[in-house]
Amino acid sequence: MVDAQKDVPFKSAQVEALVVMKIVKHCSSTFPTTATGFLVGMDSNGVLEITNTFPFPTVDVAVPDNQQGHQNDASSIAAAAPRAKANIVYQNDMIRHLKEVNVDANNVGWYTSATMGNFVNLSFIENQYHYQRDNDKTVALVHDVSRSSQGSLSLRAFKLSTEFMAAFKEAKFTTESLQKSKLTFRDILVEVPVIVHNSHLLTSFVHQIPPPPEDPEISLPASLDDIKRQPAQFPPHPSFDVLDLSIDPFLEKTCDLLLDSIEAHYTDLNNHQYYQRSLTREQFKITQWQTKRKAENAVRLAAKQTPLPEDEWQRLFKLPQEPSRLEGMLNARQVEQYSKQVDGFTATVTAKMFAVRGNLLPE
Amino acid sequence: MAVDQEHFVHLSRPLAPAVLGFSASSAPLTVNIQPQAVFSILDHAVRRDIRDTQSTRVIGALVGVRSEDGAEVEVRSCFAIPHTENEDQVEVDVEYQKNMLALTLKASPRETLLGWYTTSHELNSFSALIQNFFASPDTGTFPHPAVHLTISTDAGTAIETKTYISAPVAVNAERAAESCLFIEVPHKLLFSDAERAALGSVAAAATVDTRAAPIVSDIEGLAQSLETVSDLLERVGSYVSEVLDEERDGNHALGQFLMNNLSLTPKVDSTAIEHDFNNHIQDVLMVSYLANSIRTQIDLAQRLATAPLAADKEGGEKSKDGEEGGKQEGRGGRGGRGRGGRGGGRGGGQPREPREPRENAD
Repeated sequence: MVDAQKDVPFKSAQVEALVVMKIVKHCSSTFPTTATGFLVGMDSNGVLEITNTFPFPTVDVAVPDNQQGHQNDASSIAAAAPRAKANIVYQNDMIRHLKEVNVDANNVGWYTSATMGNFVNLSFIENQYHYQRDNDKTVALVHDVSRSSQGSLSLRAFKLSTEFMAAFKEAKFTTESLQKSKLTFRDILVEVPVIVHNSHLLTSFVHQIPPPPEDPEISLPASLDDIKRQPAQFPPHPSFDVLDLSIDPFLEKTCDLLLDSIEAHYTDLNNHQYYQRSLTREQFKITQWQTKRKAENAVRLAAKQTPLPEDEWQRLFKLPQEPSRLEGMLNARQVEQYSKQVDGFTATVTAKMFAVRGNLLPE
Repeated sequence: MAVDQEHFVHLSRPLAPAVLGFSASSAPLTVNIQPQAVFSILDHAVRRDIRDTQSTRVIGALVGVRSEDGAEVEVRSCFAIPHTENEDQVEVDVEYQKNMLALTLKASPRETLLGWYTTSHELNSFSALIQNFFASPDTGTFPHPAVHLTISTDAGTAIETKTYISAPVAVNAERAAESCLFIEVPHKLLFSDAERAALGSVAAAATVDTRAAPIVSDIEGLAQSLETVSDLLERVGSYVSEVLDEERDGNHALGQFLMNNLSLTPKVDSTAIEHDFNNHIQDVLMVSYLANSIRTQIDLAQRLATAPLAADKEGGEKSKDGEEGGKQEGRGGRGGRGRGGRGGGRGGGQPREPREPRENAD
C-alpha cells in the first residue's frame, strides 16, 4: 500500500487560509530576519493539503552593540532551525499536542520567508533535503515578504527533483558526475502550484469583511465631512494596493541582488580557476616525472637492469580535489529567479506607465 | 484597516481584588484581534470532536501581547484545548493547556496568555468556572483580567464576535468558583498591511464555489484590480448621468466630493510627460534586458562547465597520460569560459564565449 501511494506524486499544494495568514503574520513580524516554521496536513489524491502550521522557536541572541551581526545571526539560526536537533523534539511535541485536537498531524514540509526571491541557497536545499529524505510528500513554502507588500501575495511551493535528491545524497557535484547525470540548475527545484482553500465557516466569515450594510437602502451623505468620516470599505479582493505606482525600489533591490549573484558567480569561477591551475601544475610535474622515469628505465634496460615501476607517481603526487559545482548551480538558479522576477515587474510597471500616460495625455 | 464591530460605550470595568504592590488601572480595556486568531478559532470549530462530549462548542486559549498599562490587549494567536462537557460537569485538560502554552511561548517569547475563547455566545456556569480558572493567579492571567472571546458559529447566521472580562461575584462562598460577572468590552478586528495581501487571496477563494483559488501572478492581479476600478468608475459615471438626466435627485455632498477628486488631476506639460515617460520606460526595459542577458550568460557558463568535451580525447597516446592530457586541455577550455562568463556578466564579453568551445574542438 505504501508503494502504491508513493507512486502518485502530488500535483498541487492546497493551502488553508489559516496557514496563509499564520505564515504571513510570522514572516512579516520577524522581517527582515528570516522566519521558518513547520507545516502539517495530509496528502490526498495528488493534492497536498496543508492545514496547519506553527513557527519554529529561535533563541534570541541579544547582541545590542552589533545590530547587523545580530540580525544575520538570528537569520542564520532561523534558516537552520528546520533541521536543528533541538527542533525535532519541539516539532514532535507540537504534533502530538495538535493531534489531540484533531489537527491533521502529518509532516508536509516547512516554510520560510524571503526578500525579493533570494531564497535559493545551500541552507534552503539542505532543509528541504532533510524533510524530503524521510518523506517524499513534503514541500517548502516560500513567502516573499517584500513582494507581498506591493499588494499581491507571493507564496510559492517548491520541492527538490528526484534526480537532484539522488545527486545530493551522494554529495557529488563534480564535472564528471554532472556530465553523466545531465543535471542542470533548472532541475534542482520543482515548483508546485499553490491553491488557497477556505473552509465553509471561513468563507462565511470572509464575506463579512467588511460587514454588509444593515439597511439595504443607504442614505446619501449630507456633507463632505460625512463622506470623510465614513470612507467606503472595499472587500479585500481584488486589492487596490497593486495599483501603486512606485515600483522602482523593487527593481533597484532586485538589481542589487543580481549584482551580488554575479559576485558569487565570479568567486565560484575563481575557485575553479585556482583548481585548474594547481591541477595543471601537478600534472606537469607528473609528466616530468614520468619522462624522467622512462629515460631512466631506458638507461637501465640498456644496462640490463630490472626497470623501475612506472606507476609510482600515484603515490608521490596528489591531485587536488575538484570543488563542488553545487554552489554555481544554485547561483545560476537564483539568477534565473531574479531575472524572471524582473520580467514580472517590467510587465506590470509598463502597463501602469502606459495607463498613466493615457490618463495625463488624452489622445 | 480596522473593522469596528459596533459603537461602544464603556462606562466602568470591574476591578480585580486589590493586591499589594499592584495598582489596577481603571482605564477601559480594548481588545484587538488579529485575523489569524479568528481563522484559527474557526478552523478549530470545524474540527470539533463530537464523540464523547455533549457540548456544542470548543474552547481554547488566547495568546498575545498586552500594552504596558494593561488597557489594550492584542490577540495574536490561539490554540485549542480539548475539553468535555456533560450535564453536570465540565473537564478541561489542564495539563494540555500548560504544555501547549509553554510550546507556543517558546516560539514567540514576547507573548503571554490573555484568556480563552469559545465558539458559542452562551455564558453559563461552566463558562464562569473556566473563566475563573483562566483568571486565577496560578494558572491564569492574574493580576490582569482574563479576556473571554465568544464567536458564534451557528450555521445560517452571521459570525459574530464578543469579548468579555469578568469580576468575581458570588451568592455565597461555596459557589464563588462557579460564578462570575461577565462584562462586555469593546473589540475590533485589526488587519496589518502585510495581511491585506494575504486576505486578498483568501477573499478571492471565498467568491468561487469550490472555495479554492490559485495564487495569481502580479500581472493577473493587476488586471483584476483594473477591471474592478473601471467597473467602479462606470458606476459613478452612470450615477452622474442619471442625475444629469434628472432620473434621480442629485446630492450636493457627493457632487462636491467628485468635483474635488477630479480637480486633483495635475496640470502637466505634454512634452515633459512624454519625455519622462520615454526615459522611464527605457530604464525599465533596460533593466529587464540586462537581467535577462545576465541570465543567459550564467546559463551558458553552467552549460559549458559541464559540457562533454569528447573532441579532446582523440589524442594519440594510449596510456593514462593521453587521457589526463585530454582532460587537462578540457579544463583549460573551461578556464577560458570562465573569463568569458565573467565578462558576460558585466555585459561586455558576448563574442568571446562561443569561440572557446571551437578552440577546443580544433
